[in-house]
Amino acid sequence: MKFHWFNLMPWPHLPDDFRETNRSVWVDVDSRLYDPVEGHRVYNEYLDQLEFAAGLGFDGIGVNEHHQNAYGMMPSPQIMAASLARRTKDVTLLLLGQSIALYNPPTRVAEEMAMLDVMSGGRLVAGFPVGTSMDDNFCFGSNPATLRDKYRENHDLIRRAWEDPDVFSWNGEYNKIRYVNLWPRPIQKPHPPIWIPGGGSVETWDFCAEMGYNYSYLSFNGYVRGEALMQGFWNRLGEMGVEFNPFQGAFAQQVVVAETDDQAEQMYTEHLQYFFDKCLHVYPGFADAPGYRTENTIRAGLRAGGAQGLGIAHTLEWKDWVREGYIVAGSPDSVAEQIEALATKLQVGHLVTLLHCGDMPDDKARASTKLFAEQVMPRVKHIWEDYEDHWSPKPIGSEQVATPAPVLTGSN
Amino acid sequence: MAELKTLDLRPGGQTAHVWEGGDPGSPALLFLHPITGIPRWGDALETLANDFHVIAPYQPGWGPAKDDLPGAHDGLDLVLFNVDLLNTLGVGSAHVIGVSIGAWIGAEIAAIRPDAVQSLTLVNPLGLWSEQYPGEDAFAQHPGFPTAVLFSNPDKRTELLMADRDPMDAYVGELLDLRASAKFLWPIPDTGVGRRLVRIDTRTLIATSEHDNIVATEMGDIWRAAIPGAQSVQLSDSGHIADLEIPEALADLVRNFALEGVTA
Amino acid sequence: MKFHWFHGMPWPHLPADFRERNRSVWVDADSRLYEPVEGHRLYHEYLDQLEFAERVGFDGLVLNEHHQHVFGLMPSPQLMAAALARRTSRAAIVLLGMSIALYRPATRAAEEIAMLDVISGGRIVAGFPLGTPMDANYAYGANPAEFRRVYREHHDLILRAWKDPDVFTWNGESAKLRYVNVWPRPVQQPHPPVWIPADGVSSETWDFCAEHRYAYVCLASRGFAPAQSAMDGFWSRVESRGIPCNPYQGVVSQTIVVAESDEEAQERYQPHLDYTSRHTLGDFPGWTEAPGWRTERGIRERAVRTMADLGNPTPPRIPTWQERIDSGSLAAGSPVTVTEHLEHLVTTLRAGHLVGVFHVGDMPHDATLRSTRLFAEQVIPRLRHLWDDYDDHWSPTPIATEPLKRTTEPELAGVN
Repeated sequence: MKFHWFNLMPWPHLPDDFRETNRSVWVDVDSRLYDPVEGHRVYNEYLDQLEFAAGLGFDGIGVNEHHQNAYGMMPSPQIMAASLARRTKDVTLLLLGQSIALYNPPTRVAEEMAMLDVMSGGRLVAGFPVGTSMDDNFCFGSNPATLRDKYRENHDLIRRAWEDPDVFSWNGEYNKIRYVNLWPRPIQKPHPPIWIPGGGSVETWDFCAEMGYNYSYLSFNGYVRGEALMQGFWNRLGEMGVEFNPFQGAFAQQVVVAETDDQAEQMYTEHLQYFFDKCLHVYPGFADAPGYRTENTIRAGLRAGGAQGLGIAHTLEWKDWVREGYIVAGSPDSVAEQIEALATKLQVGHLVTLLHCGDMPDDKARASTKLFAEQVMPRVKHIWEDYEDHWSPKPIGSEQVATPAPVLTGSN
Repeated sequence: MAELKTLDLRPGGQTAHVWEGGDPGSPALLFLHPITGIPRWGDALETLANDFHVIAPYQPGWGPAKDDLPGAHDGLDLVLFNVDLLNTLGVGSAHVIGVSIGAWIGAEIAAIRPDAVQSLTLVNPLGLWSEQYPGEDAFAQHPGFPTAVLFSNPDKRTELLMADRDPMDAYVGELLDLRASAKFLWPIPDTGVGRRLVRIDTRTLIATSEHDNIVATEMGDIWRAAIPGAQSVQLSDSGHIADLEIPEALADLVRNFALEGVTA
Repeated sequence: MKFHWFHGMPWPHLPADFRERNRSVWVDADSRLYEPVEGHRLYHEYLDQLEFAERVGFDGLVLNEHHQHVFGLMPSPQLMAAALARRTSRAAIVLLGMSIALYRPATRAAEEIAMLDVISGGRIVAGFPLGTPMDANYAYGANPAEFRRVYREHHDLILRAWKDPDVFTWNGESAKLRYVNVWPRPVQQPHPPVWIPADGVSSETWDFCAEHRYAYVCLASRGFAPAQSAMDGFWSRVESRGIPCNPYQGVVSQTIVVAESDEEAQERYQPHLDYTSRHTLGDFPGWTEAPGWRTERGIRERAVRTMADLGNPTPPRIPTWQERIDSGSLAAGSPVTVTEHLEHLVTTLRAGHLVGVFHVGDMPHDATLRSTRLFAEQVIPRLRHLWDDYDDHWSPTPIATEPLKRTTEPELAGVN
């Protein structure tokens, strides 16, 4: 099993009366709550944490894209990935990802991911999310009725831009370019592994099955509630005759680790409460613009991706969170057990851990991360060891990896 | 000989710059110019005026209408411009001949206002795209002679387009006409008209030129297949700008087809 | 006087028969010539050079955007800026810049520049180039007839997205957005300094910079005379508004190579300058004038030159070393020679910011560092005092912090 360390980059200073004074953490959240000088400290703390996790042996470090969002402050996660590429050496860069339907033309995504793959020596995972209704339709004004069609066209264009060595013209519904001819090109041939982060959408399952992509279920509602949906994905693969391989699935999970179960509750409750209470406070009117969900998805009773603010976690307590799987939490022993349960239920080979939650301070995030890396990972790494992971990057050999010249801090 | 008129169009007061010639009692003919506009009242128009009441407007953005480009956003605006012009002139319907980008505009008019078009002649039409027959890129040419590729040989540009004009004015005009064309055809000349061609129920003739570097002759078959009942012919000894290169042959083609239904 | 270090990030391995097989270094050059593993080594070498420039005392590190370009391997320079932001602590990071007209919606450019300004603690200069027809129209398919209007709209949208603390609606021609509310916001308030790279000798850019009090960046790659006429034009527009000419509002870029002696400079660096010239000379002319790229005024101004060129069809050739220096497209030689050359350039043009192009073509790493170090140690001190009497309002104003505490620096992350 592979473990990734993911940071949403939340704003940690939302006020106590946030739910009363703001209808949403996303789209129209009051910009005056953000302070850029404190933001400087926070960004660098979060980037330090990602590098810290890389140093502790996590397989990947992950970032993703949200707009006008106080719990996800990376409108362009590729910016973060670029800074990480030059400050880490062998960890996977999980870019989960760039919202390809929001680029006009999407050749910029092909270019940027090629740059990142080259900078990192072939360590990039290329995430192609459809994106949430909040980000795509409300923040970026993209038309929900054509979003999925455009997503597919943009996907096809990016793939061809990576793979066709000749100049070609693209006469699409959404993009018209007479000369497509990417410089530079990715190191990984024919392209970096592609992961499709999604909520629940029938079309996304079919797409992953068809193309052989990894399906990454990014939920904040935990592995117990995630089971039905993840099984839906595996069943769909089975129906379509795809051989089961757990590494074709990834799941995102809130995780906190302390020396003991009690200590975990003591240390982390307030930060998880901050996350469930404030960060997932999304105005329902932004969750599902007309046309965002397809008819099939509506009929299947699946919710729009990102509509998790409609959940009830914020009304629950610690023991409910653990029981219902909103969080994987406790001592290293407890956490290892829960990870095993998660692996059994979801059958995923890639676990994207959210070890920083809400307004968690740096020392706690690091303590939890360190315990997970040192005392949990070794005990659960063996899971799925009989399967081959075709969805991780294939970097260049270590003898070919460029080493950045040392930075002499304070030398000026 | 004809007259260059400036008319105020209803509604909205837009201005049209239009050459009008021939007997107003003759059948009306709307001439829709190519990428290179209308450098002068030339032989093609003069010959056509023997049989038709010729109406040859500068489309918004070309020639004296260069400053009207920002107001024209898409093909629909161009259709409305021409329809308003016919209304203003009191012409209920007309035979339509379009060359190059003008053929696209003519096809749009016939698809949207079939009652206004008695017959449709499309010469070297732009507006559909085939990866198989992309042709030269008309918009990636040497800036010193930017429309040379539109002619069967580069000297014809000098001879037919630039002749008898102040060199600087002719050159600047050439670039401004290209600008107007690019606004509607950039970066790939697929205007979406392909979705509407099936609506055309007017008698239609497609003509392609033997030496057109931009529109391959095979494109004539693609257009013919898309328009119900359309016929097609090939023109010899001409490049893309057939109205300048073979004015008499073009005029004959239009007269025979529009008035007598003959395509030979 | 402020000194900045620019990297264009060229591909240095073009084969001898490149010109026979490729009509252009831009847009449609054969992609098979790019080799990604070597590209990996090269990116890091180039980034090392930029970081080296900070270390030896340059004030800013400069990056720009090109697409499908053999001599500009940064389609998104903001990625390089992000890498530099976490490996440098003092220098300005000058994005010269992102092609704002190529972002639809342009709020992404506002977001990305804000992110970089926050990561770097307020060290960003936001360059808003119009771009080139090759990048914008041919490689990206943007409509040239609409392009300037789009550029202006995007400029207005980005500035408002940075400055307006409320959610607002944008009903433009290029973008229609019901909720604009950028998170995060830049550290530098109301916004990072804006620099505008010149679009040839275009009076529209002069007016735009003068009106908004933006810095005007003049590229002296075609030599001293055109640079001077561009800069004079700009200053005349500033003066005509009754604004005093502060030299820091003027930026000039110049290719610079320094060695111990003039002779050594020529011997060491001429082959690398010739590498660029050899491959770009007589490049495909069809890319240069996308129809509608210029305004009617621009077309008329340019037409004079085009027609003169047509009347004098001397085949182009690589300029000699001396011709480069005499025309003012190159500052080269010993520190003393380069100092004299640049003092003349910046005082004549009244430029307070000098952007030096120190890496050219296939110049090797050590030669680049040597020239950079000589400049930093022996030229900058001789010119630093210029314009001492003026306040520089066009450099970033970073927050006053200790250099970033990097707890993972750097062994835990596995670097070094």
